[in-house]
Amino acid sequence: MSSINLIKSLKLYKDKIWSLDFSQGILATGSTDRKIKLVNVKNDDFALIDVLDETAHKKAIRSVAWRPHTSLLAAGSFDSTVSIWAREESADRTFEMDLLAIIEGHENEVKGVAWSNDGYYLATCSRDKSVWIWETDENGEEYECISVLQEHSQDVKHVIWHPSQALLASSSYDDTVRIWKDYDDDWECAAVLNGHEGTVWSSDFDKTEGVLRLCSGSDDSTVRVWKYMGDDEDDQQEWVCEAILPDVHKRQVYSVAWGSNGLIASAGADGVLAIYEEVDGKWRVLAKHELAHGVYEINVVKWLELNGKTILATGGDDGIVNFWSLEKLA
Amino acid sequence: MSEFLNENPDILEENQLPTRKEDRAKDLLLGGFSNETTLERRRLLLKIDHSPRSQVLQDIELLDKLLSIRTPPELTSDEDSLQESEEESIASQNNEEEELDLIDAQEIYDLIAHISDPEHPLSLGQLSIVNIEDIEVHDSGKQNEMAEVLIRITPTITHCSLATLIGLGIRVRLERSLPPRFRITILLKKGTHDSENQVNKQLNDKERVAAACENDQLLGVVSKMLVTCK
Repeated sequence: MSSINLIKSLKLYKDKIWSLDFSQGILATGSTDRKIKLVNVKNDDFALIDVLDETAHKKAIRSVAWRPHTSLLAAGSFDSTVSIWAREESADRTFEMDLLAIIEGHENEVKGVAWSNDGYYLATCSRDKSVWIWETDENGEEYECISVLQEHSQDVKHVIWHPSQALLASSSYDDTVRIWKDYDDDWECAAVLNGHEGTVWSSDFDKTEGVLRLCSGSDDSTVRVWKYMGDDEDDQQEWVCEAILPDVHKRQVYSVAWGSNGLIASAGADGVLAIYEEVDGKWRVLAKHELAHGVYEINVVKWLELNGKTILATGGDDGIVNFWSLEKLA
Repeated sequence: MSEFLNENPDILEENQLPTRKEDRAKDLLLGGFSNETTLERRRLLLKIDHSPRSQVLQDIELLDKLLSIRTPPELTSDEDSLQESEEESIASQNNEEEELDLIDAQEIYDLIAHISDPEHPLSLGQLSIVNIEDIEVHDSGKQNEMAEVLIRITPTITHCSLATLIGLGIRVRLERSLPPRFRITILLKKGTHDSENQVNKQLNDKERVAAACENDQLLGVVSKMLVTCK
């Protein structure tokens, strides 16, 4: 076993933190109070550097995502819009972000936003049961909807892009994960992952090159690993549930994250943060931390690189972001 | 599923609703609980019983506590200081010797039985939509341990479209009143509703509930239902 140790705890909000994301050493968080906060995590600074204009959204910020390797941020809100923020160039090197665009289209609450790795596509999902794919330019100023995917029968809770292939995964209240693929500039459903016995809250792809796998966390308190097996004659992808990870959680699993170190992290309503490792094709619990946000629920877990170390960040209903290191025990 | 379990409910009078068997007033005055809500209740009871012979008046420690809650808390609009004080109180909770504040089914019942039905001029308790025997509580009473409450509600008719609204009212009431250690599960009692699973799923989806609470119209209706609680 290893142990999960708290490095740093930041109280950012009075209300719940729904989402967090990192880029270039900057943490962005979104909360019920409509404020997006930016924290510098470089060099153990952990200083609040900007609070974005809360009048941009009329309801809670549900999801935030940095365009990879840039200072452009997308935020999805319960007010059914998505805002795009850009860093303002300033001589004195202060960090300030301005509203660049508001994207409208969804009929109800936006629940997830995600950028493709090249930064040219933005996926958004909503309670209106749809996933929209937007194409944008170099500066991220203009957004054109190139596809509206409507096969989910209920709310779409979360979207995530594959790190290198043109693939998108969406998790839903209809208990499934759908894989979407670019068929010659036409986005279509390539697979439906059936198996969870409750809402699927989030999913994440395996980062290993040449391997196509996905993990998913659900209301049914399980974390599952799915594997792509090949295409059938109709060009549909065949996926199988390869593993159900060891039973750690007692309640809803709200967030899963597959690190580039090959480890999967999960967290949820029971306040447990768990890390799993795969040894000879079998998954085992590497470490777990109970009450990681006291008696509060954890809504999001993410891996990040900080000072050359891979660490975890979690955001909870207590309005706190916790940073965790994984220490191997001899 | 045409069984109308609760179609024409017997209406209970307020004084017929279940309460603690022992003398509640005495329990509240002399019991071991000391959170602010119970102290507040004791304070109200004190107004009734303020004869010099009252046992309560002899309890100096309790009196001091009660007097201290009468002084209004210092108001501050500064968010940062609020956050700090919140953190302090969390820290002090952790450091102080653990004070147990056990919450039981009766207490949950008292919190939700007086919620008004959205259709009838009656309370959920009077309509037997909430019943004390359908409330399950698992609580150690410790503030730093998770606790659970499970409530099964009995809608008045099997196709009652207001079941979701009633469930939402109960959830909002409990989320506002219970300490954060509580996980709240609200289910329709088996066989009482045609779209049981659908309603159950919706009532226990934290994201949907959170979004509903930002819907002014819906929140207005829920607030009206909760007016009768105070």
